[in-house]
Amino acid sequence: MNEQTNTSLAHDLRLALLRSDPALSHFDPLPRIIANDSFAKGHCGWSQLVGNYEGDLDTMLPGYAQHSSAMLSTLSHWDAGSHGGMNSSYALKIATKPVAGSRNVAIKRHTFRKRGPIRLEAYVTFKPEANELKLSETDVRSFGFLFDLQGGDQDGDALRVMPHLRFLNAENGHHTQKWQFKQRTSDIKPMGAEDKIVSHDHLNPNDWQDLPGGGQRLCYNEIPTKVNWTYLCFDFDLETMQATGFRCNDRVFDVSGFESIKIPAMKNLWCMLNICLFAETDTNKRAFLYVDSVCLSGDF
Amino acid sequence: MLPENITAVVTRNETWAGVAASEPYEAGWAKEAVFFVRALKQPVGMPAKAFVDISPDGIRWVPEGTEFTLPSSRDGISVARVSHFGNWLRVRAQFDDGAECTVLVTLHLKA
Repeated sequence: MNEQTNTSLAHDLRLALLRSDPALSHFDPLPRIIANDSFAKGHCGWSQLVGNYEGDLDTMLPGYAQHSSAMLSTLSHWDAGSHGGMNSSYALKIATKPVAGSRNVAIKRHTFRKRGPIRLEAYVTFKPEANELKLSETDVRSFGFLFDLQGGDQDGDALRVMPHLRFLNAENGHHTQKWQFKQRTSDIKPMGAEDKIVSHDHLNPNDWQDLPGGGQRLCYNEIPTKVNWTYLCFDFDLETMQATGFRCNDRVFDVSGFESIKIPAMKNLWCMLNICLFAETDTNKRAFLYVDSVCLSGDF
Repeated sequence: MLPENITAVVTRNETWAGVAASEPYEAGWAKEAVFFVRALKQPVGMPAKAFVDISPDGIRWVPEGTEFTLPSSRDGISVARVSHFGNWLRVRAQFDDGAECTVLVTLHLKA
């Protein structure tokens, strides 16, 4: 066999193994799986995004002060009992407070070994708290995800790069249903007096831009306690620090107009590879983002 | 595999007064739970009476039966241990008029 045949055989074998593995066949991972999180295995390292502070928790920016811990949920509802996940009883649940505009964020923190392609895949669903007997389809403002990245300490081009994508489901009661990204964060503010810790609220409500062609009607189902799982896949190249692909269920979106938040590198975040998942509520009702499973993979 | 356990911060640096409660937390996978409530600042007025609540749906709440008193001084910590609680848990506190406490509420769950 020549080298080309060997490569093709290895590819086919890998694909066959992936597709015959019930834990992985619902994903299309790149060659190396960095994390394969299924929440019947526990929280899998997903914790709350706590804001920076120094000396006193009162220094934490308000956007972060509202965050609380994600939980393991069976999607239990008053009318139908536990809904459960796709392959187990459990999903990770990210819940906002019942105050319009509130958000909550779960984070998983890694570093990377090589600046190359990475892929984030997940199965998620969203609903508001089912405390009214009506459809409530415009109560959740958005759900979304982001990477928080920084190049290596020897890289001449190192920046802190934060690609954000959210599904803006509704805004001020209007059922918008479109994908958005953002290129700007808030002002970077010092925490305390020691000039060592700063903070910026990159998920503040301002500066979201529509992804060109990014309108999408997702499966919301007919009452607040019925959910359907939605597939997300986001490709990013750590070498060029550019998005290279985004799909949601059957739709593949053009990311040529997508840009990330880019700010100067910070002095202690080298090779950072963080993932955040978040939810925002549009009304005085809790918004819930449920995450059945997450796969982070890379080509290295 | 080791059994799951988790420390969840359900309320952080919030000043409670009147009737206040932590956000609903699903813990159906856990067999035991411990709430710690720490006073981050010097409480004002009489220490509040606190209650563990359980719920069939995370929306409607009933007292689980455990009662305790919130801290009377800064960095004081109050504790409530519960088991056999179903799925949903929260802590509720009732303050006298003018009383308040800035709290850190942590929930420690073990399968």
